[in-house]
Amino acid sequence: MRARRLTGCVAGVIALTLTAAGCGLSGGGSDSGDATAGGCKVDEGNVGSGKITGDVKGKITFQTTNLKKDFGDYFNGIIKAFEKAHPDTTVKWVDDPGDATFTQRLVADAQGCTLPDVVNINVNTAIALTKSGYLLDLDKKAPDAGKPFTESMWKSSMYADSTDTKVHSVLPWYSGGIAQTFNIDLMKKAGLDPAKPPTTVLGLFDDAQKIAEASDGKYYAFLANPQLRIPADWQQMDIQVLTPDGKKFTFADDPKTTQWVEAMTKLYKSGGMPRDSLSSTQDPANVYGQGKLVYGPTNPNFLRFIQQNNPSVYKETGVARFMLDDLGHTVGAPQYIGVASTSENAATALSFAQFLTNAKNQLEWAKDPNVVIFPSTTESLNDPFFQSVEGSDPFAEARKIVASDRKTATADEIALTPGELNAISAQIQLAMQGKKSAQDALDEAQKKANELIEQGS
Amino acid sequence: MTTLSPPTKGSGVAVPRDPRPGEPNGGRRLLRAIRPGPSADAGGAALYRRWWLPWLWMSPAIIGVTVFGVYPFLNTLLLSFTDAKPLGGAASFVGLDNYTRMLGDSDFWLATRNSVLYALIVVPLMVLLPLTLAVLVEKNLPGIGFFRSAFYTPVLASSVVVGLSWQWLLSDQGLVNTWLQKAHIIREAIPFLSDSWLILICAMGLTLWKGLGWYMIFYLAALGNVAKELHEAASVDGAGAIRRFWHITMPGVRTSMMLVGTLTGIGSLRVFTEIYMLGGSTGGPGGADRTLPFYIRDVALDPLTGNAGYGSAVSVALFVLTLGLTLLAQRLTKEDES
Repeated sequence: MRARRLTGCVAGVIALTLTAAGCGLSGGGSDSGDATAGGCKVDEGNVGSGKITGDVKGKITFQTTNLKKDFGDYFNGIIKAFEKAHPDTTVKWVDDPGDATFTQRLVADAQGCTLPDVVNINVNTAIALTKSGYLLDLDKKAPDAGKPFTESMWKSSMYADSTDTKVHSVLPWYSGGIAQTFNIDLMKKAGLDPAKPPTTVLGLFDDAQKIAEASDGKYYAFLANPQLRIPADWQQMDIQVLTPDGKKFTFADDPKTTQWVEAMTKLYKSGGMPRDSLSSTQDPANVYGQGKLVYGPTNPNFLRFIQQNNPSVYKETGVARFMLDDLGHTVGAPQYIGVASTSENAATALSFAQFLTNAKNQLEWAKDPNVVIFPSTTESLNDPFFQSVEGSDPFAEARKIVASDRKTATADEIALTPGELNAISAQIQLAMQGKKSAQDALDEAQKKANELIEQGS
Repeated sequence: MTTLSPPTKGSGVAVPRDPRPGEPNGGRRLLRAIRPGPSADAGGAALYRRWWLPWLWMSPAIIGVTVFGVYPFLNTLLLSFTDAKPLGGAASFVGLDNYTRMLGDSDFWLATRNSVLYALIVVPLMVLLPLTLAVLVEKNLPGIGFFRSAFYTPVLASSVVVGLSWQWLLSDQGLVNTWLQKAHIIREAIPFLSDSWLILICAMGLTLWKGLGWYMIFYLAALGNVAKELHEAASVDGAGAIRRFWHITMPGVRTSMMLVGTLTGIGSLRVFTEIYMLGGSTGGPGGADRTLPFYIRDVALDPLTGNAGYGSAVSVALFVLTLGLTLLAQRLTKEDES
């Protein structure tokens, strides 16, 4: 009798488990014909054609990524101003630590239909959420949303939706920019002229080779891990990394990529890069701060880190325009603001997202002396704050150079997924160790990266 | 909960209410209701031994195991026959395709080799070294507490912090290479962090170093149960320290050794952080140091290009490998015992 009951219980548990698992496997959509986005039931106005309508009122959640600690006053001010302009609204601000699992966690939130109404995301997360339909299609819901932003940035901030159609699903926000930073003292020791920094990527490798020959292992040009240089180097060299539809990698077919891998290999073997940095997680900012690297990270915000932690190295730091090379302009996806298509107050969420990213509010934040960030709006970049920078302090230099570049910069940053980046880097590491030829490594890297695209499609 | 006595059949007489828990004798009645086996009033007590009562007490544990163990496992098993994506959405059943792909996947076999190698090297060392350490610090000598604490400290440190410390120790210009060079033992730095074999060996060293203190505590508890008289008798009979260790100490802590072996075996097959910290996100140059969990991360968890179905198949393979090694260890133990 007991045995039969036990069997019944176990069978019940298994049946329940299988049913639950089956639910997990079923696709999105709804039997009842309700509007859905990414498998979540949503207001009909959030999907399909037609602008977002409705009153700006009610409660929304706004999520930033690791900004509360340093910029709490700024965001509280923004929220207060918005709530004052729209008295029936309440904005609840949450801040995510933004660690390595950020995308996975946010996607899990979206799948659970709990994505914050307004959310700060990076390019990878934007791609993931757009693909699954968790963000408002701004082309349909807010056709004028792009007006405040630089033309190059708005045009290039489009990502594929579930039907593989590229849409505007995010508002461009702040960006760190990109510039060359270098240790003037070490450059001189290596016989290089700090006033004439390289203007092409391969020119940088030529200079780095001179550093390898002069340094005798006491200092290095930059770290060896290829992950730190791709795909930025390739993009500046105007290498076609992907086909225009983004469905296939093509970098291995371009002889310039082979040249790049050979330059990396030659530099690695001649001691221009620390041997143990080939696959390591070392932070180049730390190694530069120890005075062991000639070239520092390309994010100007790192200058603040060096200024605070290594003042003596900061004094010897020079800044120059990033190598524009064959591309002719810089690329770099900014931080984005997305509005959840699952929002119950989409009109309010959209209004807040536009308020947050408008020229006035972006400029106000960019003026914070503790940070080097650049707005995405034309009006802000034309402000005297960026146009009339005085002094030769590295911080001020970076601000002047990058603000000028941001006017033509695009968001066409090839956003390799972590899996793709690992697959490609692993093969290049083998080439740098001399275990494969540059072309063989690139062919294998391209094959593996294409398998990943196919797997994800 | 039953608290009323059953009415006496056909008596027509109302039976006084039994005390409830909290009332005089209430707790005793409740205990009697759940206590198995015959009792003083066997006839009445049998009625209180409801079949579902043990299940009720076990239900929190059963629910926990079902939700956090059985369901994820069955879901993983189901997913391994599909092409499910990490972002969810529709998934199709693909039969045994994932398993067929796995068998022909050289990266999977490389990760399996690394994981098995890890277990084969780490498990015996992790069984014996903490035992040796425990024997050394077992005696109550002045200041021995300091050594016990020192050996246990790595257990308290986070794996990431430990990994960073080891990076610093093992880099080309790190402490180890600098010392060896200054002592004129080596001329060129040993590539601890750029040679794939050395990365794997260093990762094993890190696992051992971090686990020594933890398992030392297991053994210290077990050593306390080994009768001192046996050691004394053996000493009188002329047995030396090594013979006593081999013939008295080791048999005395045999059960703990089996437990440590099993736990370490499972842990070794699940290694990820050590490889990540020393070999970077590619899992060493060319991904040559990837273990099975590392490989599962690579194939399954990338939100855009991951294949949760294939990753689940590899997870099932990892489960089978873990189960196989555990059963093998148990079988060897039984044979040894018999």
